[in-house]
Amino acid sequence: MSQTLLSKWTRPALVGFLGLLLLSPFLLPYTVNAKEGVLTIGNAGEPQTLDPHRYNLRLEETLLNDLFLGLTTFNAAGEIVPGAAQSWQTSEDGLTWTFKLRDNLKWSDGQPLTAADFVYASQRLQDPATAASLAYFMYMVKNAPEVNRGELPVSALGVSAPDAQTFVIELSQPYPYLLERLLYPTAFPVPQHVIERHGDDWVKPANWVSNGAYTLADWQPQAFVAMQANPHFYEPVSIQNVRYLPVVNEQSAYNRYRNEELHVIGSFPVGELERVKTNYPNELHLSDLLSMMYLVFNTEKAPFNDSRVRQALSLAIDQDILTDKVLRSGNKPAYSFVPDLIADYQTTPLPHVGKDRAERLQQARELLDSAGYNNPNPLKITLRHVSGVEGKKVNLAITGMWRQIGVVANLQQAELRNHFADLRQGDFDVAWAGWVGENNAEHYLTLLQSDIGNVNYGRFADARFDDMIKTAQQLSSAIQRNQQLAAAEAYVVDAYAVVPLYTVSVRRLVSQKVSGWQNNLRDVHQIRYLSWSD
Amino acid sequence: MTRYILKRLLFALVTLFVIITVVFFLLRLAPGGPFDGERRLPPEIEANLKAAYNLDAPLLLQYGRFMVNLAQGDLGPSFTQKDFDVNALIRAGLPVSLMLGLGALVCALLLGLSIGIVAGLKPGGLLDTLLMAVSNLNIAVPTIVAAPLMVLLFSVTLSWFPGGGADTWWHFVLPALALGLPLSAEIARIMRGGIAETSLEPFVKTAKAKGLKSPRIVFLHLLPAASIPLLSFLGPAMAGLLTGSVVAEQIFDLPGIGRYYVQGALNRDYTLVMGVTIVYSFAILSFNLLVDVAYGLIDPRIRVAQT
Repeated sequence: MSQTLLSKWTRPALVGFLGLLLLSPFLLPYTVNAKEGVLTIGNAGEPQTLDPHRYNLRLEETLLNDLFLGLTTFNAAGEIVPGAAQSWQTSEDGLTWTFKLRDNLKWSDGQPLTAADFVYASQRLQDPATAASLAYFMYMVKNAPEVNRGELPVSALGVSAPDAQTFVIELSQPYPYLLERLLYPTAFPVPQHVIERHGDDWVKPANWVSNGAYTLADWQPQAFVAMQANPHFYEPVSIQNVRYLPVVNEQSAYNRYRNEELHVIGSFPVGELERVKTNYPNELHLSDLLSMMYLVFNTEKAPFNDSRVRQALSLAIDQDILTDKVLRSGNKPAYSFVPDLIADYQTTPLPHVGKDRAERLQQARELLDSAGYNNPNPLKITLRHVSGVEGKKVNLAITGMWRQIGVVANLQQAELRNHFADLRQGDFDVAWAGWVGENNAEHYLTLLQSDIGNVNYGRFADARFDDMIKTAQQLSSAIQRNQQLAAAEAYVVDAYAVVPLYTVSVRRLVSQKVSGWQNNLRDVHQIRYLSWSD
Repeated sequence: MTRYILKRLLFALVTLFVIITVVFFLLRLAPGGPFDGERRLPPEIEANLKAAYNLDAPLLLQYGRFMVNLAQGDLGPSFTQKDFDVNALIRAGLPVSLMLGLGALVCALLLGLSIGIVAGLKPGGLLDTLLMAVSNLNIAVPTIVAAPLMVLLFSVTLSWFPGGGADTWWHFVLPALALGLPLSAEIARIMRGGIAETSLEPFVKTAKAKGLKSPRIVFLHLLPAASIPLLSFLGPAMAGLLTGSVVAEQIFDLPGIGRYYVQGALNRDYTLVMGVTIVYSFAILSFNLLVDVAYGLIDPRIRVAQT
């Protein structure tokens, strides 16, 4: 019975199915590649907001740099160049900065953009009602912390517009790196006339007005952010349409890049690096990022309050092995807490750098012994890190290096948010941490200041170091300030509060359809500097 | 029957309430908060943020406020997707998730029914062995493994399908297939058993003796009788599709609510996670309710026993 049931209708069905499968490439209803004429970029994730005053993530900076133009901005090489301001002057004491705006600046709706817009934006950033999470980026402005705490009205903030093209910032103490700080979206202008009309909904594509090279055309959450060239921008751009897609997963980014769905991706799995080097040599962009990955000791907790223990653990770590043998992802070994990529600054490497490894291990054992730890009584510690392949690999290797000096280390991993939440609460022995900072040493060294807050995870406190930093912060000349900071670093290096490990290397793929891409230390790439290759 | 349905409905509502309450407090127990980002927050700024999102109130009061807003259909603002409220996010994501779920169900039913019928008509035959082997493979290989392999083959190598996104219905083919495959295998097994068993029933022999054509016997006599066990399976299967869609949406970069769920949980976006939890719970409870009611309608014994 079943024989006849089967044969009569399955065979044609099977043949049909096979035929359809073979024909399917010719039946494709859509092209799978990126849309013609739309630069499609894989971003590291979904932006949480496009309000420059409420943003918090680097991946949001990427978008905001295309949508807005601050007083200063980056060029394609990542250097600071004039943005909305065409020139600026600093007073003798370094406390008053006067910016001259470009002629005929306009918002994307054609309204004129004046210095009053910068005053409004500065006040809005510090207004407690805005709840700007990065308001402290501009705390050097006179009265900013007081305004942000609600103790003074926003009108008390040290910003003013003597005329439509002049914007003046007064500082509470000298800050020679101000031009760099103005690069961040926290210092971008926002359209007062639109915000007052639409309230929080001003960021919706239908209401959107900005002053950057591009405006927001559409935003489908988790799907894409679409931008188009701003007709009122002060100079024309080559690429008219851009789409940023949130592609969290590196493998997915890599697959979609290879399928030509994306023109640019921010990262791909490190395991593919060798293959990419052979297959896409002209599309691979490996570049150092201004950053520091380091281990931090909980200096409030025994035995890590003993600098001999910290020194011993530091001596045993070989940064070269971590980057060249373990990670193999192009990361650069770091021997000083301030990255040696920073301009006009002389870093102080760890004292033992360059010494023979056997000698270092011997010294480490002696230090541990003097602190009371030896074979019968080994030092037992827990090393905390962020979960993920890279974190696991590096930290496992470090425990191996510590084993060579008789230290028994357990690994404990946690998801990023938990990890840093615990670090801020001081709930750790030794922990992996990372910092993507500015192009100045102060941004790194202040992490070791005793009154900086819980971002000094290890609660390191040294009165003399604090004084040295505070002295530096009174200096308005960048050269003198850098010298003083370098002295502070040279002093603090002997305390072994942290162990520098490596600086991150960014692995990008950029399609050959796009030209004008330049690697830079901040990994910022405004679309207006790019164009289609012919 | 009405009493039975009302009883199930009440039970579903109580379950939903318990889920919402438990998840609300569980979320607050997790370390870290929605405002922990890549960068540090000074205490005064954290205070501003907490005030802006009503997180400075006592927890019980927050719970009360949440429930009152929920009763009015307002899920609140998203803590991390600051430019959207949760209602808007779910409005944007739900159609994508529904499309994925529906696509997966269609794939699973099409594949599962045809494989099951073909295999069940001649149990123990070569085709049966082959098809069941494929089905076992489909059950054994989870979506998280099958999906990347499919992307590698169909998008990276062959470039037939996009590897992610949701711009057109073409984008849904691979994810729906990846999500539907394990389910299709289970449907195939159930159908195979049903067909094989039912083929031996006297009424099939009668139909055959009457000289009815084979397709007519299969579709009019065998299929309805063999489908009853399938019905009881579909309720939990839909729940499986929902949870599976979280994985598929991650792998295929689909902007559905499953992705919000994962990211919301990682970012401690309390309101977003609550919103998605409510949608998921509502969906699962509805399926279960529907299956319960369908049971009652089909099988009078259940109706009698439960009332």
